[in-house]
Amino acid sequence: MDLQSFAGPFVPEIVLLAATLLVFLLDVVRVRDNEIVGAVALGSVVLALLLVLADLGFAPLAVLATVPSSSIDASVTGAPLYSFTSLGLVFQGLFLLAALLVCLASLSRPKDERGAPIFYGLLLLATLGMVLVAIASDLIFLLLAIELVSVPTYLLVAYSRRDARALEAAMKFYIIGALSTTLSFFGASLLYGAYGTTNLHALATAEAAAGTAGYPVLVLLGYGFLIAGLAFKATLVPFHAWAVDVYDGAPTDVTAFLAGGSKKVGLFAFFLVFLAPILFVRTMASGSPFVTGSVAVGPVLQITLAFLAVVTMTLGNVLALLQKEMKRMLAYSSISQAGYMLIGIAVGTAPALAGATLQILAHVLMKTGAFLVVGAVAALGVGPLIDDYKGLGQKRPLLGVAFGLMLLSLAGVPLTVGFVSKFVLFSAAVQAKGYFVWLAVAGLLNSALSVFYYARVLKVLFFDVAEPRALATGAVVGGSEPEILPVGGLGYGRAAAIALVAVVVVVLGVYPQPVLGAIQNAAQHFVNLGG
Amino acid sequence: MLPLLSLILVSLAVGTVATFFAGTRARYVALAVSAVFLAEVGLLFLSYPGWPGYNGALVPGFAESESYPWIHLSWMQINYTVGVDGISLVFILLTAVLQLATVVYSWTEDRRPAAYFGLVLLTCFGCFGVFVALDVLLFFLFWEAVLVPMFFLIGFWGGPRRRYAALKFFVYTHVASIVMLVGLLALVFYSGASSFDFSAIYASARTLAAVPQTFLFVALFFGFGVKFPIVPFHTWLPDAHVEAPTGASVLLAGLLLKLGGYGLIRWAVEVLPSGFHNAQPLLYAVAFLSIIWGSVLSLSQRDLKRLVAYSSINHMGIVLLAIALDSSLGLLAAVFLMFAHGVVSGLMFMVSGSVHHTFGTRDIPNVGGITPTTPALSTMIMVGSLASLGLPALIGFPAEFSAFLATWNALGYWVFIPLGILVVTAAFYLWMMQRVLFGPARGIPGDARDVPWYEGAGMGILVAFTVLFGVLPGLLVNVIASSPVKGFPGT
Repeated sequence: MDLQSFAGPFVPEIVLLAATLLVFLLDVVRVRDNEIVGAVALGSVVLALLLVLADLGFAPLAVLATVPSSSIDASVTGAPLYSFTSLGLVFQGLFLLAALLVCLASLSRPKDERGAPIFYGLLLLATLGMVLVAIASDLIFLLLAIELVSVPTYLLVAYSRRDARALEAAMKFYIIGALSTTLSFFGASLLYGAYGTTNLHALATAEAAAGTAGYPVLVLLGYGFLIAGLAFKATLVPFHAWAVDVYDGAPTDVTAFLAGGSKKVGLFAFFLVFLAPILFVRTMASGSPFVTGSVAVGPVLQITLAFLAVVTMTLGNVLALLQKEMKRMLAYSSISQAGYMLIGIAVGTAPALAGATLQILAHVLMKTGAFLVVGAVAALGVGPLIDDYKGLGQKRPLLGVAFGLMLLSLAGVPLTVGFVSKFVLFSAAVQAKGYFVWLAVAGLLNSALSVFYYARVLKVLFFDVAEPRALATGAVVGGSEPEILPVGGLGYGRAAAIALVAVVVVVLGVYPQPVLGAIQNAAQHFVNLGG
Repeated sequence: MLPLLSLILVSLAVGTVATFFAGTRARYVALAVSAVFLAEVGLLFLSYPGWPGYNGALVPGFAESESYPWIHLSWMQINYTVGVDGISLVFILLTAVLQLATVVYSWTEDRRPAAYFGLVLLTCFGCFGVFVALDVLLFFLFWEAVLVPMFFLIGFWGGPRRRYAALKFFVYTHVASIVMLVGLLALVFYSGASSFDFSAIYASARTLAAVPQTFLFVALFFGFGVKFPIVPFHTWLPDAHVEAPTGASVLLAGLLLKLGGYGLIRWAVEVLPSGFHNAQPLLYAVAFLSIIWGSVLSLSQRDLKRLVAYSSINHMGIVLLAIALDSSLGLLAAVFLMFAHGVVSGLMFMVSGSVHHTFGTRDIPNVGGITPTTPALSTMIMVGSLASLGLPALIGFPAEFSAFLATWNALGYWVFIPLGILVVTAAFYLWMMQRVLFGPARGIPGDARDVPWYEGAGMGILVAFTVLFGVLPGLLVNVIASSPVKGFPGT
């Protein structure tokens, strides 16, 4: 008997849910050892990731495949709540990768730290929500899955309950999150009013059949509210302001998960919700937004998203330049990266989607990795300012090189995955011609701008000489003496996670074909379905 | 056929990594790698159809080319494609020679020697890659890969303002590469080339209309021009040079500036003939501006290293002028001139480094009459300066002579602008040599000794090539002229 007939296509989700329950159960029976609980969480995430890889058609794992290949990328009939697309599976893999890195690194946290089961339980629950987002094909299902991501992450930010800054960040996160949820649901209700359905495929078909005739204001307002609601999740300017404070205030491992993982949920929701109308208009002969009596939503959305993309990356980069604290700088850089990813959706061709997906993969690796390094460095007793990192590259060459690689990748320097993803994304924009070439130019100029602040950190890491006090101040957090961990104070788990990111960043930078080819196929299927 | 180019790339990469991990023995590893590299390049020359010693038939087109699929998507065909023609072969020889000379010259570098020699090799690896790459992605990749090691070389081993200089270098050249990248991508997609390979782009881009060609050419010209560097985007160069350690200065002037010239010839002039034709006035204007402004700045310097740095702008201006002429003699002269400038400016930077080590200053007015104390160093200064001025029998002469001849053929009396400047520069150099080398002894520390053996050997390698190709320029000319470029006998 194979797995498929036993549990249907939901084995990865079931694994995650079971692990969540198990972790909370361990808390009840007072097994709160960080390593034990962490191992359970890590094991379940790894298993789920293997299952997803098998579903994607990764041959050596074929035994584990749970979704029948005939139902992946199948044309949709009726109005199902969920459907399996290969792009969705790719995103499931990305989300699980982020969770995996955070779990792995968290294994190295102090053994007796309070709240380990809560941390891992919430992390798994949020991951479950992310995995569900990736298979949504109904607006309500999608928005509920996003809620399943949001609620645990609000709690995660404040799980330590001692840090006033984290509590403030959690409050802010919660209020903004609630507002964004309200906006999204309101938008969905307006669309339901216009078309009588919340199914994404049915929406697309209804638009194709009727256009917006009769309800142009309703439809545009509906999409407008959805953009606003989802843009909060994806940290797009002008809905970004919460992100920096939250990323800054949250415990660094949680920040790694928020920036590297859960914010991509918002971007994938953009893929799901806005691609269909954009594609639909591409198939119409007229490119003008105002065709006889009705408004074609596609070009309006395209221009709006392109505008948001440019504003987001520019403002994110400019503000990142001005930051003095490492976490805030990385937070703003994360905002600007969301702008690059949005280019892919605005352009709306399969190559552009593939580029955006690869960019998201790269960002999962780089940003999670970078925040993990920041967490590690903070545990070593280095302050939060960029200047506090002086001489780190000389004192800890391996950590410095790994961090340097991530920064180079964020800056888009060749032989790193960050370069390949930007190369594909901007190539796709140039390939689409028209005003999208200027999107590519804007993106490239922005990545030139971003080099300033990444290079500044590199300079601080490798060229500047450490001031005597920087590394001398003790890492006394919460009044207890820091535990001495193996691997130069980082611990095996964290060191392994950082090393894994550094290696993958380079390997994918040199030979991206296997991953990129799969992503390109997935994006092509996705576009074919949506059109 | 033996995949010679890939073998060289792999052996260089392995050697570079080995150097990084060699600790205190790094210099020996680096020396071995450089010697092997030079030998491999020698092998490449012997198997090249245009080489006088080659006894096969003269085959037009790229030699030794290899192509393997890299990234194949439905809309994007990228191959790993490498190959050489006469033009790239000349630059490859330059890379090998300068690498060896730099490693020997920096023999006693004691600040993190493994990293230093590793970065030197990495820079040369990147330059070699640029010269052999025949597809857009590989080309851009190597192009950018040169940036990072040079950034670290300047930023860690440089002078007092090294951080500012390194950052400025990185930002200037990176912005330029972005413009170049958009230009190259637009070249691929607007021309409808079937792949990112040079051959595919060459076949389809030439058929584009004149207006898009002009836009593309100007974008590419800006991208390559900042590396040249062209006035007014030259300000990173003096800063970078003055702060860089001697070895990095040699590579910067000798190789990095050549990347701009090579890129312009290969990816813009050859590929976009109508765009090139339309942009010719712009090229002339920029070239004359660079020639004049570079020499004015150069002659107003007291610091020997600054003087050499600014004279690079002047020399590269002549290169740009020779390219802009759109004649086969001009192209030949441009390539020859770049080789000559690579060797001679490398020599001059080593000389100024040695002057600094020996006398503790590079200020020309503060030192004088050094010949009795340091005869070997003085000889090197004379050879370098005279070669830079174009004295016959040294490498500068055939290069500059052919450049001016080509200018005369195409532009007539305009040639007197660069020629007049050359005369003024010559007078200045002679006056400088007279004061520094032969005047009454001034500012010589009591413990001043002649250059140590390794510095002498590093400079000696470059002097040998200066003399060799000065006496036998045909060795290079034959190779360059066998390239598959319009107007050369090889086509």
